[in-house]
Amino acid sequence: MSGDACHHTLEIRNLTVRKGGREILSGVDADIRCGEVTALIGPNGAGKTTLLQAILGQVPYDGEIRFCRSPEHGEGTPRIGYVPQHLDFDRETPLTVLDFFALSAQRRPVFLGISAAARRSARESLERAGVAHLLDHPLGRLSGGELQRVLFALALRDAPDILLLDEPVSGVDLAGGEQFCEFLSQVHRDSRFSLLLVSHDLSVVTRHADRVICLNRRIVCQGATTEVLTAENLASMYGEDAHLFRHSHADGHGHIHEHRERNG
Amino acid sequence: MEGILKAVFSAMDALLPFAFAEAGFMKRALLALMLVAPAAAAVGVPLVQFRMAFFSDAIGHSAFTGVALGVVLGVSPTWTMAAFGALVAVAIVLVKGRTDLSTDTVIGVFFSTAIALGIAIISREKGLTRNLQSFLYGDPLAVSDAEIAWMAGLLLLVAVYLLITYNRILLLGIHEGFARTKGVPVRAVEVSFALVTALVVTTAIRTVGILLVTALLVIPAASARNLARGAASAFRISVGIAALSGFTGLVASYYLDTATGATVVLAAAACFALTAAAKGLRRNG
Repeated sequence: MSGDACHHTLEIRNLTVRKGGREILSGVDADIRCGEVTALIGPNGAGKTTLLQAILGQVPYDGEIRFCRSPEHGEGTPRIGYVPQHLDFDRETPLTVLDFFALSAQRRPVFLGISAAARRSARESLERAGVAHLLDHPLGRLSGGELQRVLFALALRDAPDILLLDEPVSGVDLAGGEQFCEFLSQVHRDSRFSLLLVSHDLSVVTRHADRVICLNRRIVCQGATTEVLTAENLASMYGEDAHLFRHSHADGHGHIHEHRERNG
Repeated sequence: MEGILKAVFSAMDALLPFAFAEAGFMKRALLALMLVAPAAAAVGVPLVQFRMAFFSDAIGHSAFTGVALGVVLGVSPTWTMAAFGALVAVAIVLVKGRTDLSTDTVIGVFFSTAIALGIAIISREKGLTRNLQSFLYGDPLAVSDAEIAWMAGLLLLVAVYLLITYNRILLLGIHEGFARTKGVPVRAVEVSFALVTALVVTTAIRTVGILLVTALLVIPAASARNLARGAASAFRISVGIAALSGFTGLVASYYLDTATGATVVLAAAACFALTAAAKGLRRNG
Protein backbone atom coordinates (compact mmCIF):
# COMPACT_ATOMS: atom_id res chain seq x y z
CA MET A 1 0.00 0.00 0.00
CA SER A 2 1.36 3.42 -0.90
CA GLY A 3 1.23 4.78 2.62
CA ASP A 4 1.73 8.50 1.88
CA ALA A 5 -0.89 8.90 -0.81
CA CYS A 6 -3.53 7.33 1.36
CA HIS A 7 -5.98 9.63 3.10
CA HIS A 8 -8.07 8.75 6.05
CA THR A 9 -11.16 7.44 4.42
CA LEU A 10 -13.61 8.29 7.11
CA GLU A 11 -13.24 10.92 9.80
CA ILE A 12 -15.79 11.13 12.57
CA ARG A 13 -15.64 14.26 14.67
CA ASN A 14 -17.59 15.03 17.82
CA LEU A 15 -20.47 12.82 16.77
CA THR A 16 -23.51 12.85 19.02
CA VAL A 17 -26.69 10.88 18.37
CA ARG A 18 -29.86 11.25 20.43
CA LYS A 19 -32.87 8.99 20.36
CA GLY A 20 -35.98 9.86 22.31
CA GLY A 21 -34.11 12.45 24.39
CA ARG A 22 -31.30 10.07 25.41
CA GLU A 23 -27.76 10.38 24.16
CA ILE A 24 -26.88 7.10 22.49
CA LEU A 25 -23.49 8.36 21.37
CA SER A 26 -21.70 11.39 22.71
CA GLY A 27 -18.68 13.22 21.38
CA VAL A 28 -17.32 10.36 19.29
CA ASP A 29 -14.05 11.06 17.48
CA ALA A 30 -12.75 8.24 15.35
CA ASP A 31 -10.87 7.55 12.14
CA ILE A 32 -11.30 4.67 9.81
CA ARG A 33 -8.17 4.59 7.74
CA CYS A 34 -7.82 3.81 4.13
CA GLY A 35 -7.26 0.17 3.35
CA GLU A 36 -7.20 -0.89 6.97
CA VAL A 37 -9.42 -3.20 8.95
CA THR A 38 -10.87 -1.30 11.87
CA ALA A 39 -12.79 -3.26 14.47
CA LEU A 40 -15.55 -1.60 16.45
CA ILE A 41 -16.10 -3.34 19.76
CA GLY A 42 -18.14 -2.62 22.85
CA PRO A 43 -20.77 -4.16 25.11
CA ASN A 44 -24.41 -4.55 24.13
CA GLY A 45 -26.15 -1.20 23.94
CA ALA A 46 -22.85 0.62 23.45
CA GLY A 47 -24.15 2.28 20.29
CA LYS A 48 -22.20 0.29 17.72
CA THR A 49 -25.11 -0.21 15.36
CA THR A 50 -26.15 3.41 15.90
CA LEU A 51 -22.69 4.52 14.80
CA LEU A 52 -23.10 2.51 11.61
CA GLN A 53 -26.55 4.01 11.09
CA ALA A 54 -25.09 7.50 11.45
CA ILE A 55 -22.41 6.70 8.86
CA LEU A 56 -25.14 5.45 6.54
CA GLY A 57 -27.20 8.61 7.11
CA GLN A 58 -30.01 6.59 8.62
CA VAL A 59 -30.23 8.54 11.87
CA PRO A 60 -29.86 12.28 12.45
CA TYR A 61 -26.72 13.35 14.31
CA ASP A 62 -24.71 16.33 15.52
CA GLY A 63 -21.07 16.58 14.64
CA GLU A 64 -19.30 15.64 11.48
CA ILE A 65 -18.72 12.56 9.39
CA ARG A 66 -16.25 13.35 6.62
CA PHE A 67 -15.44 11.07 3.77
CA CYS A 68 -12.08 11.50 2.13
CA ARG A 69 -11.05 9.65 -0.94
CA SER A 70 -7.54 8.65 -1.83
CA PRO A 71 -6.57 10.01 -5.26
CA GLU A 72 -5.85 6.56 -6.66
CA HIS A 73 -9.52 5.71 -6.26
CA GLY A 74 -10.60 8.67 -8.39
CA GLU A 75 -13.00 11.51 -7.68
CA GLY A 76 -16.46 11.72 -6.23
CA THR A 77 -18.14 10.61 -3.03
CA PRO A 78 -16.96 7.27 -1.75
CA ARG A 79 -19.19 4.28 -2.17
CA ILE A 80 -20.26 2.61 1.03
CA GLY A 81 -20.97 -1.07 1.21
CA TYR A 82 -22.96 -2.44 4.12
CA VAL A 83 -23.75 -5.89 5.41
CA PRO A 84 -26.39 -5.62 8.12
CA GLN A 85 -26.49 -7.95 11.09
CA HIS A 86 -30.12 -8.98 10.93
CA LEU A 87 -32.34 -8.95 7.93
CA ASP A 88 -35.76 -8.73 9.45
CA PHE A 89 -37.55 -9.15 6.15
CA ASP A 90 -40.54 -11.24 5.22
CA ARG A 91 -39.09 -14.73 4.73
CA GLU A 92 -41.96 -15.76 2.49
CA THR A 93 -41.36 -12.91 0.10
CA PRO A 94 -41.26 -14.17 -3.50
CA LEU A 95 -37.75 -13.01 -4.36
CA THR A 96 -34.83 -15.08 -5.58
CA VAL A 97 -31.20 -14.21 -4.96
CA LEU A 98 -31.01 -13.21 -8.63
CA ASP A 99 -34.02 -10.88 -8.23
CA PHE A 100 -32.36 -9.38 -5.18
CA PHE A 101 -29.21 -8.57 -7.16
CA ALA A 102 -31.24 -7.26 -10.10
CA LEU A 103 -33.13 -4.78 -7.90
CA SER A 104 -30.05 -2.56 -7.78
CA ALA A 105 -28.47 -3.61 -11.08
CA GLN A 106 -31.09 -2.78 -13.69
CA ARG A 107 -33.42 0.10 -14.33
CA ARG A 108 -36.08 -2.13 -15.79
CA PRO A 109 -38.53 -3.14 -13.06
CA VAL A 110 -38.03 -6.81 -12.14
CA PHE A 111 -41.63 -7.67 -13.06
CA LEU A 112 -40.64 -7.14 -16.70
CA GLY A 113 -37.86 -9.69 -16.36
CA ILE A 114 -34.17 -9.77 -15.50
CA SER A 115 -31.73 -8.35 -18.03
CA ALA A 116 -28.90 -10.53 -19.30
CA ALA A 117 -26.36 -8.05 -17.92
CA ALA A 118 -27.90 -8.18 -14.45
CA ARG A 119 -27.87 -11.98 -14.51
CA ARG A 120 -24.24 -12.06 -15.59
CA SER A 121 -23.11 -9.59 -12.96
CA ALA A 122 -25.06 -11.42 -10.23
CA ARG A 123 -23.49 -14.72 -11.20
CA GLU A 124 -19.99 -13.21 -11.21
CA SER A 125 -20.44 -11.59 -7.80
CA LEU A 126 -21.79 -14.80 -6.29
CA GLU A 127 -18.97 -16.82 -7.81
CA ARG A 128 -16.43 -14.53 -6.23
CA ALA A 129 -18.08 -15.14 -2.87
CA GLY A 130 -18.17 -18.88 -3.54
CA VAL A 131 -21.95 -19.16 -3.56
CA ALA A 132 -22.86 -19.23 -7.27
CA HIS A 133 -25.16 -22.18 -6.62
CA LEU A 134 -27.54 -19.89 -4.70
CA LEU A 135 -28.41 -17.76 -7.76
CA ASP A 136 -31.95 -19.08 -8.18
CA HIS A 137 -32.72 -19.83 -4.54
CA PRO A 138 -35.46 -17.89 -2.76
CA LEU A 139 -33.83 -15.24 -0.59
CA GLY A 140 -36.00 -16.06 2.42
CA ARG A 141 -34.93 -19.71 2.45
CA LEU A 142 -31.19 -19.12 2.86
CA SER A 143 -29.42 -20.10 6.07
CA GLY A 144 -27.78 -17.38 8.16
CA GLY A 145 -24.36 -18.10 6.68
CA GLU A 146 -25.64 -18.20 3.11
CA LEU A 147 -27.52 -14.95 3.50
CA GLN A 148 -24.38 -13.34 4.89
CA ARG A 149 -22.38 -14.46 1.86
CA VAL A 150 -25.05 -13.20 -0.52
CA LEU A 151 -25.23 -9.81 1.17
CA PHE A 152 -21.49 -9.62 1.20
CA ALA A 153 -21.31 -10.48 -2.50
CA LEU A 154 -23.87 -7.79 -3.26
CA ALA A 155 -22.05 -5.20 -1.15
CA LEU A 156 -18.79 -5.99 -2.96
CA ARG A 157 -20.35 -5.92 -6.42
CA ASP A 158 -20.34 -2.14 -6.48
CA ALA A 159 -16.65 -1.94 -5.47
CA PRO A 160 -17.12 -0.06 -2.21
CA ASP A 161 -14.46 2.26 -0.84
CA ILE A 162 -15.69 1.60 2.67
CA LEU A 163 -17.34 -1.59 3.79
CA LEU A 164 -19.35 -1.75 7.01
CA LEU A 165 -19.86 -5.21 8.44
CA ASP A 166 -22.21 -5.56 11.39
CA GLU A 167 -21.42 -8.70 13.43
CA PRO A 168 -20.43 -10.75 10.39
CA VAL A 169 -20.07 -14.04 12.28
CA SER A 170 -23.08 -13.85 14.56
CA GLY A 171 -25.79 -16.30 13.60
CA VAL A 172 -23.22 -18.42 11.78
CA ASP A 173 -21.72 -21.54 13.30
CA LEU A 174 -18.11 -21.58 14.41
CA ALA A 175 -16.70 -23.29 11.32
CA GLY A 176 -18.76 -21.01 9.07
CA GLY A 177 -17.46 -18.01 10.99
CA GLU A 178 -13.83 -19.10 10.51
CA GLN A 179 -14.47 -19.66 6.83
CA PHE A 180 -16.08 -16.27 6.43
CA CYS A 181 -13.16 -14.53 8.16
CA GLU A 182 -10.63 -16.28 5.95
CA PHE A 183 -12.64 -15.30 2.92
CA LEU A 184 -12.95 -11.76 4.18
CA SER A 185 -9.23 -11.24 4.63
CA GLN A 186 -8.56 -12.71 1.22
CA VAL A 187 -11.04 -10.38 -0.47
CA HIS A 188 -9.69 -7.48 1.52
CA ARG A 189 -6.13 -8.22 0.38
CA ASP A 190 -7.29 -8.19 -3.23
CA SER A 191 -9.47 -5.12 -3.29
CA ARG A 192 -8.24 -2.88 -0.45
CA PHE A 193 -11.37 -1.19 0.73
CA SER A 194 -11.49 0.22 4.21
CA LEU A 195 -13.31 -2.14 6.43
CA LEU A 196 -15.22 -1.31 9.58
CA LEU A 197 -16.02 -4.48 11.39
CA VAL A 198 -18.44 -4.56 14.30
CA SER A 199 -17.76 -7.66 16.34
CA HIS A 200 -18.35 -9.25 19.68
CA ASP A 201 -15.81 -11.88 18.99
CA LEU A 202 -12.43 -10.71 20.25
CA SER A 203 -10.63 -13.63 18.64
CA VAL A 204 -11.87 -12.41 15.26
CA VAL A 205 -10.80 -8.90 16.16
CA THR A 206 -7.28 -9.81 17.28
CA ARG A 207 -6.71 -11.90 14.20
CA HIS A 208 -8.09 -9.60 11.54
CA ALA A 209 -8.12 -6.00 12.69
CA ASP A 210 -5.34 -3.47 12.24
CA ARG A 211 -6.94 -1.03 14.59
CA VAL A 212 -9.60 -1.20 17.25
CA ILE A 213 -12.15 1.34 18.39
CA CYS A 214 -13.65 0.57 21.80
CA LEU A 215 -17.04 2.17 22.17
CA ASN A 216 -19.35 2.49 25.11
CA ARG A 217 -21.55 5.44 24.20
CA ARG A 218 -18.30 7.37 23.96
CA ILE A 219 -14.87 6.33 22.80
CA VAL A 220 -13.21 4.30 25.54
CA CYS A 221 -9.98 3.94 23.60
CA GLN A 222 -8.70 3.42 20.09
CA GLY A 223 -5.46 2.48 18.42
CA ALA A 224 -3.46 -0.44 17.09
CA THR A 225 -5.03 -3.75 18.01
CA THR A 226 -2.19 -4.98 20.24
CA GLU A 227 -2.01 -1.72 22.15
CA VAL A 228 -5.71 -1.36 22.72
CA LEU A 229 -6.78 -4.85 23.64
CA THR A 230 -5.36 -4.88 27.13
CA ALA A 231 -7.02 -6.41 30.14
CA GLU A 232 -7.41 -2.95 31.69
CA ASN A 233 -9.21 -1.46 28.71
CA LEU A 234 -11.47 -4.45 28.40
CA ALA A 235 -12.31 -4.28 32.08
CA SER A 236 -13.17 -0.60 31.88
CA MET A 237 -15.40 -1.26 28.91
CA TYR A 238 -17.11 -4.53 29.73
CA GLY A 239 -16.95 -4.19 33.51
CA GLU A 240 -17.31 -7.43 35.39
CA ASP A 241 -17.89 -9.39 32.22
CA ALA A 242 -14.34 -8.77 31.09
CA HIS A 243 -13.14 -12.18 32.23
CA LEU A 244 -15.44 -13.69 29.61
CA PHE A 245 -13.26 -12.21 26.93
CA ARG A 246 -9.85 -12.81 28.36
CA HIS A 247 -9.37 -16.25 26.93
CA SER A 248 -10.01 -15.09 23.42
CA HIS A 249 -7.84 -12.07 24.04
CA ALA A 250 -4.87 -14.29 24.80
CA ASP A 251 -5.47 -16.45 21.74
CA GLY A 252 -4.65 -14.82 18.53
CA HIS A 253 -1.76 -12.48 19.09
CA GLY A 254 0.33 -14.36 16.58
CA HIS A 255 -1.64 -13.39 13.55
CA ILE A 256 -2.35 -9.74 13.30
CA HIS A 257 -3.46 -8.75 9.86
CA GLU A 258 -0.60 -8.31 7.43
CA HIS A 259 -1.37 -4.66 6.68
CA ARG A 260 -0.28 -3.76 10.13
CA GLU A 261 3.32 -4.62 9.57
CA ARG A 262 3.41 -2.75 6.30
CA ASN A 263 1.82 0.31 7.76
CA GLY A 264 3.78 0.24 10.95
CA MET B 1 -63.87 10.78 -23.62
CA GLU B 2 -67.41 9.87 -24.69
CA GLY B 3 -66.12 8.80 -28.10
CA ILE B 4 -63.49 6.54 -26.58
CA LEU B 5 -66.00 4.94 -24.23
CA LYS B 6 -68.44 4.35 -27.08
CA ALA B 7 -65.73 2.57 -29.05
CA VAL B 8 -64.78 0.50 -26.01
CA PHE B 9 -68.40 -0.46 -25.41
CA SER B 10 -68.96 -1.61 -28.99
CA ALA B 11 -65.75 -3.63 -28.78
CA MET B 12 -67.11 -5.23 -25.62
CA ASP B 13 -70.35 -6.05 -27.43
CA ALA B 14 -68.35 -7.91 -30.06
CA LEU B 15 -66.15 -9.72 -27.57
CA LEU B 16 -68.81 -10.54 -24.99
CA PRO B 17 -72.05 -11.48 -26.74
CA PHE B 18 -73.66 -12.60 -23.48
CA ALA B 19 -76.73 -11.49 -21.60
CA PHE B 20 -74.76 -10.22 -18.62
CA ALA B 21 -72.80 -7.77 -20.76
CA GLU B 22 -75.76 -6.27 -22.57
CA ALA B 23 -76.69 -3.45 -20.23
CA GLY B 24 -74.58 -0.28 -20.28
CA PHE B 25 -74.15 -0.32 -16.51
CA MET B 26 -72.71 -3.84 -16.70
CA LYS B 27 -70.19 -2.73 -19.32
CA ARG B 28 -69.19 0.19 -17.13
CA ALA B 29 -68.89 -2.09 -14.11
CA LEU B 30 -66.70 -4.52 -16.01
CA LEU B 31 -64.52 -1.71 -17.29
CA ALA B 32 -64.22 -0.23 -13.81
CA LEU B 33 -63.18 -3.58 -12.32
CA MET B 34 -60.68 -4.26 -15.10
CA LEU B 35 -59.07 -0.87 -14.45
CA VAL B 36 -59.09 -0.88 -10.66
CA ALA B 37 -58.50 -4.50 -9.65
CA PRO B 38 -55.17 -4.92 -11.52
CA ALA B 39 -53.91 -1.57 -10.22
CA ALA B 40 -54.80 -2.59 -6.66
CA ALA B 41 -53.18 -6.00 -7.08
CA ALA B 42 -49.98 -4.49 -8.50
CA VAL B 43 -49.59 -2.16 -5.53
CA GLY B 44 -50.61 -5.05 -3.29
CA VAL B 45 -47.46 -7.09 -4.03
CA PRO B 46 -45.01 -4.72 -2.30
CA LEU B 47 -47.72 -3.80 0.22
CA VAL B 48 -47.82 -7.39 1.44
CA GLN B 49 -44.03 -7.55 1.52
CA PHE B 50 -44.01 -4.44 3.70
CA ARG B 51 -46.66 -6.06 5.93
CA MET B 52 -48.82 -3.01 5.32
CA ALA B 53 -52.26 -4.61 5.06
CA PHE B 54 -53.35 -2.73 8.16
CA PHE B 55 -52.16 0.52 6.59
CA SER B 56 -54.39 -0.08 3.59
CA ASP B 57 -57.29 -0.84 5.92
CA ALA B 58 -56.69 2.40 7.81
CA ILE B 59 -56.73 4.43 4.59
CA GLY B 60 -59.88 2.64 3.49
CA HIS B 61 -61.69 3.41 6.71
CA SER B 62 -60.51 7.00 6.83
CA ALA B 63 -62.10 7.39 3.41
CA PHE B 64 -65.39 7.19 5.27
CA THR B 65 -64.48 10.49 6.91
CA GLY B 66 -63.36 11.83 3.54
CA VAL B 67 -66.82 11.16 2.12
CA ALA B 68 -68.53 12.78 5.11
CA LEU B 69 -66.32 15.85 4.72
CA GLY B 70 -67.13 16.06 1.03
CA VAL B 71 -70.87 16.00 1.65
CA VAL B 72 -70.63 18.58 4.42
CA LEU B 73 -68.42 20.89 2.34
CA GLY B 74 -70.49 20.36 -0.79
CA VAL B 75 -67.54 18.98 -2.77
CA SER B 76 -67.57 15.73 -4.74
CA PRO B 77 -66.76 12.90 -2.31
CA THR B 78 -64.41 11.37 -4.90
CA TRP B 79 -62.04 14.29 -4.36
CA THR B 80 -62.33 14.66 -0.61
CA MET B 81 -61.99 10.92 -0.15
CA ALA B 82 -58.76 10.82 -2.15
CA ALA B 83 -57.40 13.96 -0.52
CA PHE B 84 -58.22 12.85 3.01
CA GLY B 85 -56.84 9.35 2.39
CA ALA B 86 -53.60 10.86 1.05
CA LEU B 87 -53.37 13.15 4.07
CA VAL B 88 -53.76 10.28 6.54
CA ALA B 89 -51.26 8.16 4.57
CA VAL B 90 -48.55 10.81 4.60
CA ALA B 91 -49.21 11.63 8.25
CA ILE B 92 -48.75 7.99 9.22
CA VAL B 93 -45.48 7.66 7.29
CA LEU B 94 -44.04 10.88 8.69
CA VAL B 95 -44.98 10.12 12.30
CA LYS B 96 -43.77 6.54 11.99
CA GLY B 97 -40.31 7.82 11.01
CA ARG B 98 -40.09 10.08 14.06
CA THR B 99 -41.14 7.83 16.91
CA ASP B 100 -40.12 4.58 18.56
CA LEU B 101 -43.73 3.38 18.56
CA SER B 102 -44.44 0.36 16.43
CA THR B 103 -46.03 0.93 13.05
CA ASP B 104 -49.35 -0.68 13.88
CA THR B 105 -49.67 1.48 16.99
CA VAL B 106 -49.14 4.64 14.94
CA ILE B 107 -51.64 3.44 12.35
CA GLY B 108 -54.10 2.52 15.11
CA VAL B 109 -53.97 6.05 16.51
CA PHE B 110 -54.60 7.74 13.16
CA PHE B 111 -57.13 5.19 12.06
CA SER B 112 -59.38 5.62 15.09
CA THR B 113 -59.00 9.39 15.13
CA ALA B 114 -60.08 9.61 11.51
CA ILE B 115 -63.08 7.34 12.06
CA ALA B 116 -64.12 9.22 15.19
CA LEU B 117 -64.02 12.47 13.22
CA GLY B 118 -66.17 10.90 10.52
CA ILE B 119 -68.76 9.63 12.99
CA ALA B 120 -68.88 13.01 14.71
CA ILE B 121 -69.58 14.72 11.39
CA ILE B 122 -72.22 12.20 10.36
CA SER B 123 -74.02 12.39 13.69
CA ARG B 124 -74.52 16.12 13.11
CA GLU B 125 -75.72 15.77 9.52
CA LYS B 126 -78.75 13.54 9.73
CA GLY B 127 -79.31 13.08 6.02
CA LEU B 128 -75.85 11.67 5.40
CA THR B 129 -76.32 8.02 6.25
CA ARG B 130 -77.99 7.01 3.00
CA ASN B 131 -75.22 8.66 1.05
CA LEU B 132 -72.63 6.54 2.83
CA GLN B 133 -74.21 3.19 2.00
CA SER B 134 -72.72 2.99 -1.48
CA PHE B 135 -69.27 3.78 -0.09
CA LEU B 136 -69.48 1.17 2.65
CA TYR B 137 -70.42 -1.67 0.32
CA GLY B 138 -69.24 -0.29 -3.02
CA ASP B 139 -71.36 -0.20 -6.12
CA PRO B 140 -69.58 -0.84 -9.38
CA LEU B 141 -72.94 -0.98 -11.17
CA ALA B 142 -73.37 2.74 -10.54
CA VAL B 143 -70.02 4.10 -11.75
CA SER B 144 -70.25 7.08 -14.03
CA ASP B 145 -68.23 7.80 -17.17
CA ALA B 146 -66.27 10.41 -15.25
CA GLU B 147 -65.36 7.83 -12.63
CA ILE B 148 -64.19 5.44 -15.33
CA ALA B 149 -61.95 8.17 -16.67
CA TRP B 150 -60.57 8.70 -13.16
CA MET B 151 -59.91 4.97 -12.84
CA ALA B 152 -58.12 4.84 -16.19
CA GLY B 153 -55.97 7.74 -15.03
CA LEU B 154 -55.21 5.87 -11.82
CA LEU B 155 -54.16 2.73 -13.67
CA LEU B 156 -51.86 4.80 -15.85
CA LEU B 157 -50.39 6.54 -12.82
CA VAL B 158 -49.78 3.24 -11.02
CA ALA B 159 -48.15 1.75 -14.12
CA VAL B 160 -45.78 4.68 -14.58
CA TYR B 161 -45.00 4.86 -10.87
CA LEU B 162 -44.18 1.18 -10.58
CA LEU B 163 -42.11 1.20 -13.78
CA ILE B 164 -39.90 3.82 -12.21
CA THR B 165 -39.87 2.76 -8.57
CA TYR B 166 -40.70 -0.93 -8.27
CA ASN B 167 -37.11 -2.16 -7.80
CA ARG B 168 -36.40 0.46 -5.16
CA ILE B 169 -39.60 -0.32 -3.29
CA LEU B 170 -38.71 -4.01 -3.09
CA LEU B 171 -35.14 -3.28 -2.03
CA LEU B 172 -36.42 -1.00 0.71
CA GLY B 173 -38.68 -3.84 1.83
CA ILE B 174 -35.62 -6.01 2.50
CA HIS B 175 -33.57 -3.64 4.64
CA GLU B 176 -33.59 0.13 4.95
CA GLY B 177 -29.89 0.68 5.62
CA PHE B 178 -28.90 -1.71 2.90
CA ALA B 179 -31.24 -0.03 0.42
CA ARG B 180 -29.68 3.30 1.31
CA THR B 181 -26.20 2.08 0.36
CA LYS B 182 -27.65 1.06 -3.00
CA GLY B 183 -28.86 4.60 -3.61
CA VAL B 184 -32.53 4.24 -2.69
CA PRO B 185 -34.00 7.59 -1.55
CA VAL B 186 -35.72 5.97 1.41
CA ARG B 187 -38.02 8.74 2.58
CA ALA B 188 -39.15 9.70 -0.93
CA VAL B 189 -39.97 6.10 -1.76
CA GLU B 190 -41.88 5.59 1.50
CA VAL B 191 -43.96 8.73 1.10
CA SER B 192 -44.70 8.25 -2.60
CA PHE B 193 -45.68 4.61 -2.08
CA ALA B 194 -48.03 5.58 0.74
CA LEU B 195 -49.57 8.27 -1.48
CA VAL B 196 -50.07 5.95 -4.44
CA THR B 197 -51.54 3.31 -2.14
CA ALA B 198 -53.95 5.89 -0.72
CA LEU B 199 -55.09 6.85 -4.23
CA VAL B 200 -55.57 3.22 -5.20
CA VAL B 201 -57.50 2.42 -2.04
CA THR B 202 -59.81 5.42 -2.24
CA THR B 203 -60.53 4.73 -5.91
CA ALA B 204 -61.08 1.02 -5.39
CA ILE B 205 -63.65 1.81 -2.70
CA ARG B 206 -66.03 2.75 -5.49
CA THR B 207 -66.03 -0.88 -6.66
CA VAL B 208 -65.91 -3.03 -3.51
CA GLY B 209 -66.56 -0.57 -0.70
CA ILE B 210 -64.73 0.56 2.40
CA LEU B 211 -65.23 -2.71 4.26
CA LEU B 212 -63.66 -4.86 1.56
CA VAL B 213 -61.18 -2.62 -0.16
CA THR B 214 -58.09 -4.10 1.50
CA ALA B 215 -59.05 -7.50 0.07
CA LEU B 216 -58.54 -6.14 -3.43
CA LEU B 217 -54.93 -5.25 -2.62
CA VAL B 218 -54.02 -8.14 -0.38
CA ILE B 219 -55.78 -11.30 -1.63
CA PRO B 220 -54.34 -11.38 -5.19
CA ALA B 221 -50.83 -10.72 -3.86
CA ALA B 222 -51.26 -13.37 -1.17
CA SER B 223 -52.52 -15.88 -3.76
CA ALA B 224 -49.57 -15.10 -6.02
CA ARG B 225 -47.22 -16.00 -3.18
CA ASN B 226 -48.65 -19.49 -3.13
CA LEU B 227 -47.48 -20.06 -6.68
CA ALA B 228 -44.62 -17.68 -7.44
CA ARG B 229 -40.95 -18.32 -6.77
CA GLY B 230 -39.57 -15.07 -8.13
CA ALA B 231 -40.43 -11.38 -8.22
CA ALA B 232 -41.61 -11.31 -11.84
CA SER B 233 -44.04 -14.22 -11.53
CA ALA B 234 -45.40 -12.91 -8.21
CA PHE B 235 -46.30 -9.62 -9.84
CA ARG B 236 -47.81 -11.12 -12.97
CA ILE B 237 -49.84 -13.75 -11.13
CA SER B 238 -51.17 -11.14 -8.70
CA VAL B 239 -52.36 -8.88 -11.52
CA GLY B 240 -53.77 -11.83 -13.44
CA ILE B 241 -55.73 -13.12 -10.46
CA ALA B 242 -57.15 -9.64 -9.85
CA ALA B 243 -58.42 -9.37 -13.42
CA LEU B 244 -59.81 -12.89 -13.31
CA SER B 245 -61.67 -12.37 -10.03
CA GLY B 246 -62.97 -9.00 -11.22
CA PHE B 247 -64.47 -10.64 -14.28
CA THR B 248 -65.81 -13.84 -12.70
CA GLY B 249 -67.08 -11.93 -9.65
CA LEU B 250 -69.10 -9.55 -11.81
CA VAL B 251 -70.55 -12.33 -13.95
CA ALA B 252 -71.37 -14.47 -10.92
CA SER B 253 -73.08 -11.56 -9.18
CA TYR B 254 -75.25 -11.05 -12.27
CA TYR B 255 -76.50 -14.63 -12.30
CA LEU B 256 -76.61 -15.10 -8.51
CA ASP B 257 -78.16 -11.69 -7.90
CA THR B 258 -75.61 -10.85 -5.18
CA ALA B 259 -73.74 -7.63 -4.34
CA THR B 260 -71.04 -7.21 -6.98
CA GLY B 261 -68.22 -5.92 -4.76
CA ALA B 262 -68.61 -8.76 -2.29
CA THR B 263 -68.84 -11.36 -5.06
CA VAL B 264 -65.62 -10.08 -6.61
CA VAL B 265 -63.87 -10.44 -3.27
CA LEU B 266 -65.29 -13.95 -2.87
CA ALA B 267 -63.94 -14.85 -6.30
CA ALA B 268 -60.51 -13.59 -5.21
CA ALA B 269 -60.80 -15.62 -2.01
CA ALA B 270 -61.58 -18.70 -4.10
CA CYS B 271 -58.37 -18.05 -6.07
CA PHE B 272 -56.51 -17.89 -2.79
CA ALA B 273 -57.97 -21.21 -1.66
CA LEU B 274 -57.09 -22.86 -4.97
CA THR B 275 -53.51 -21.57 -5.01
CA ALA B 276 -53.04 -22.56 -1.37
CA ALA B 277 -54.23 -26.07 -2.22
CA ALA B 278 -51.87 -26.17 -5.21
CA LYS B 279 -49.01 -25.12 -2.96
CA GLY B 280 -49.88 -27.85 -0.47
CA LEU B 281 -49.99 -30.46 -3.20
CA ARG B 282 -46.65 -29.34 -4.60
CA ARG B 283 -45.03 -29.47 -1.19
CA ASN B 284 -46.36 -32.94 -0.39
CA GLY B 285 -46.13 -34.40 -3.87
